[in-house]
Amino acid sequence: MTPALADAYSLAPVITACGFGILIIVGDAFLPRGGKSLLARIGVVGALASLAAVTLASRHTDDAYSGLIRTDAFSLFLESLIFVITVLVMLGSYDYLVREGLPLGEYHALLLFAASGMAVMASANELLTAFVGLEISSIASYVLAGYRRTASKSNESALKYFLLGSFATAFFLYGAAMVYGATGTTRLDVLREMFVAGRAPGPLMLLGCAMILVGLGFKAAVAPFQVWTPDVYEGAPTPVTALFASGPKAAAFALLVRILVTGFGAANATWFWAIWVSAVLTMFIGNLAALTQNNVKRMLAYSSIAHAGYLLVALAARSEIGIAALLYYLVVYALVTLGAFTIITHLGEPGERRLEIDAYAGLGTRQPFTAFCMTIFLLSLLGLPITAGFLGKFYIFDSALKAQLPGLAVMLAMNSVIGAYYYLRLVRVMYFTEPEQEWTPEPVTAGVGAVMFLTAVAALGFGLFPGPLMTFATISAQSFR
Amino acid sequence: MLTLVTFLPLAGGLLLLLLGRESHAAIRRVALLTSTVTFLLSLLLLRGFDATASGYQLVERRPWMSNPQIQYHMGMDGISLFLVLLTTFLMPLAVLCSWESIHTRVKEFFLMLLALETAMIGVFFALDLFLFFLFWEAMLIPMYFLIGIWGHERRIYAAIKFVLYTMAGSILMLVAIIWLYSLSGTFDLPRIQSLLQEGVIRLPVRQEMLLFGAFFLAFAVKVPLFPLHTWLPDAHVEAPTAGSVILAGVLLKMGAYGLVRFCLPLFPDASHKFAPWIVGLAIVGIIYGALVAMVQPDYKKLVAYSSVSHMGFVVLGIFVFNQVGMQGAVYQMLNHGVSSGGLFLVAGMLYDRRHTHMIKEFGGLATPMPVLSSFFILITLSSLGLPLLNGFVGEFLILTGAFERRPAWAAYAATGVILSAVYCGVTSV
Amino acid sequence: MSPSYLSDYAPLLIHILAAMIVAGALLSLSVLVGYRRPSREKSEAYECGIHPTGDAREPFSVKFYLVAILFILFDVEAIFLYPWAYVFRDLNPGKSLAGFYEMLLYIVILLAGYIYLWRKGALDWNR
Repeated sequence: MTPALADAYSLAPVITACGFGILIIVGDAFLPRGGKSLLARIGVVGALASLAAVTLASRHTDDAYSGLIRTDAFSLFLESLIFVITVLVMLGSYDYLVREGLPLGEYHALLLFAASGMAVMASANELLTAFVGLEISSIASYVLAGYRRTASKSNESALKYFLLGSFATAFFLYGAAMVYGATGTTRLDVLREMFVAGRAPGPLMLLGCAMILVGLGFKAAVAPFQVWTPDVYEGAPTPVTALFASGPKAAAFALLVRILVTGFGAANATWFWAIWVSAVLTMFIGNLAALTQNNVKRMLAYSSIAHAGYLLVALAARSEIGIAALLYYLVVYALVTLGAFTIITHLGEPGERRLEIDAYAGLGTRQPFTAFCMTIFLLSLLGLPITAGFLGKFYIFDSALKAQLPGLAVMLAMNSVIGAYYYLRLVRVMYFTEPEQEWTPEPVTAGVGAVMFLTAVAALGFGLFPGPLMTFATISAQSFR
Repeated sequence: MLTLVTFLPLAGGLLLLLLGRESHAAIRRVALLTSTVTFLLSLLLLRGFDATASGYQLVERRPWMSNPQIQYHMGMDGISLFLVLLTTFLMPLAVLCSWESIHTRVKEFFLMLLALETAMIGVFFALDLFLFFLFWEAMLIPMYFLIGIWGHERRIYAAIKFVLYTMAGSILMLVAIIWLYSLSGTFDLPRIQSLLQEGVIRLPVRQEMLLFGAFFLAFAVKVPLFPLHTWLPDAHVEAPTAGSVILAGVLLKMGAYGLVRFCLPLFPDASHKFAPWIVGLAIVGIIYGALVAMVQPDYKKLVAYSSVSHMGFVVLGIFVFNQVGMQGAVYQMLNHGVSSGGLFLVAGMLYDRRHTHMIKEFGGLATPMPVLSSFFILITLSSLGLPLLNGFVGEFLILTGAFERRPAWAAYAATGVILSAVYCGVTSV
Repeated sequence: MSPSYLSDYAPLLIHILAAMIVAGALLSLSVLVGYRRPSREKSEAYECGIHPTGDAREPFSVKFYLVAILFILFDVEAIFLYPWAYVFRDLNPGKSLAGFYEMLLYIVILLAGYIYLWRKGALDWNR
């Protein structure tokens, strides 16, 4: 294998996704107005092909492109997750796009571009490469947030996301520049070697690290940089919100882990407190604010903030089991949130009118399967046994306690109880109350049904048989040795 | 065998899913059949039980998950056997009493009821802490729906209150369980117990007290011990009859069972240290429950508060740390399960006929319904602890145990017995 | 290597400072030394000798932005060609043309974008 080909192997998923994205763009330019649904199909095929290309990447697990990209179990894990998310988002959004009369071509191309950016983030071994990935995924996300061009909420969402997002990425870039200024490298493994060789982190370097944390904290919607989340999530088209809550969050956490553990692992006593404080703030802000929400999208937006806090607890454990727990939880959370948002998409009705919690009244009798799936998702987010969310929380508890952080564990426990109130509120509305106005939900279409079914199976399956996934997560966590 | 008993109800419940939505008669029959067969099977357990042997019997253990190390480990001893018998005995009754009174979403109702039975039996048999917690939490969901969908006017409030109270307690227990796991590397109850006894793992005093507190809180909410009892009257009053029967008959016992099975053997020192305080709370609960019960106009509420009082006795019996007290506590658990279950059954029957739970509306009941009212009196007297009836034995044993330890405790607790005569007398018009 | 990597950049800093000092000195000298006779004609906006008409702050078509951004996109991308040309020989050791094909791929991707915006009518002013 020539070096160029070997390098291409390790970026195979990214290349595949981009290739299909370009194919869709060109196809969109030539296809007649009526034939655009072909593009949606190409999009799904492209995402599946990218997922398959992850196995290609697994053949070349090493540094590539002179150390800019690193393919290891960790990056493969996240790339698989990202492309699974992409496939599911695509399946769940076809009917929505048709219903809202939105163009199909650009949507799928942008999804693929966003996914490729996230994949770069997951495998970047160098700060500027990471920045490029961050920007690729962000710019596609800004456009997607404003995809309902005629809806003012969607515009608001896109603009807020764009302004605050560019601000945050600037922070990231500035931080990277400072690290470079202090050490003369942006490669994370070189940074690590410097620490190993006995170099102490100077103030400039720590400042750079802090600014990188700010930039990524924004992407991951972590307190105190979470303010944009509810507005952006509420205004964006619901399937796009599903993506935001799962994909970029996963990628941002991947990058956070890689930078903190590989690059600044030796300085962990310093960033530990930042993560600790942020975790506590994130959990409490997310859960307490979610209590008073009446809009389902906003409620889940705050819940996604809270879950970012749980993930930070796992990160604060600073151990391999902590990272494994983080990865496991990330998968479970992403799939379950995706399922929940898909149901919200499905029930939204044209123009996304049906978003109030009270609008879900009587769903339990009108569409039992949908209500059942939604209940599973909510219970999994809540972390009740049998569902995967419970084991996810369990692993986090375990890692926190093993790291001698009982305080964080107890606060996580308290937050789970707060979460019970608002998750069960939706369950209550679906099953216990009758709507004031009679309504019949639209029948479940094949795409939406498939997403609901798959994510519900995942939510239960990973809850009862976590073995394979947890093994994969554990192996991935060992990439940082 | 234990697996069969545990999961048979759930299997029956899933069978219900295959039946048509409208075929109510068939659904009821399948539910009744399932619960009855489960009861008969659990009677077989009684035959297989060797009362002279110590330790767990009919143990089943299979590896389930490798990371974390979780085993499917079930087993029974005397206490769990009898509590399971109580459960399986009450369940057909609960099905029967919902025969006529549940008309909406019949299929879901019986599915929930049977799922609840599986979770409850699982709690009593599980010997793996993780498995135990799984069943413990799984029980919440069916109960939440039972109260929330088929309950009375303030059902939603009661359902949420029930879940939040229980979850708040149990999530701390989860932390404690995981803490134990990270200390010992296993969830296996007998193993952890032997590790602790042999001194392989040593708990510092503070840590043991924290762990004990976390477990205790979860169970105290469930028992419910004063002052954590406030969910109980709401849940009891709003639940449908079958829900109340199960709630009073079995769910409250799970708290006491947890104390006996986990708190005392795992953390003996902390238990002894906290015992005076807990006994104090139990006695307050006994007297307070009885006093409040006396002034209740609502019959279901009266029984609910009397449960607080009676379960106070159970906790008292457990925490006097002698054989008589413990025997009394176990005996009292069974009695209370039967008699309060019975009282709620009667209340449900009366409600179906009179559509009220107000005691003053029950006056002169003996003339139109002689049979019902005589059973009513019988159960009431048993609940009050009249000699010759079952309630007497338990309370007597507990009081004896308490007297051996501290005469004053017995004296205070005995006040509760007298007061219970008053409130039970109120109903026997 | 010096204790801080930043000290490598000291010459650059000196260069910047020197440039600022020289430019500042020249400007301030002309202000201090030169003499001014302002008139109405002189203080008018300079529009290549033509008399200015109306306000400069006028709304103009949003299409300008589109064209401008497209121009910048394709203009900036051309910048990548210069460093590529500089290292062209290193990219193509021996007789291989790997570097050439890589850039060809890059151009094709750009071309795809160009075709897209052309077909979508982004270059069509009258749409």
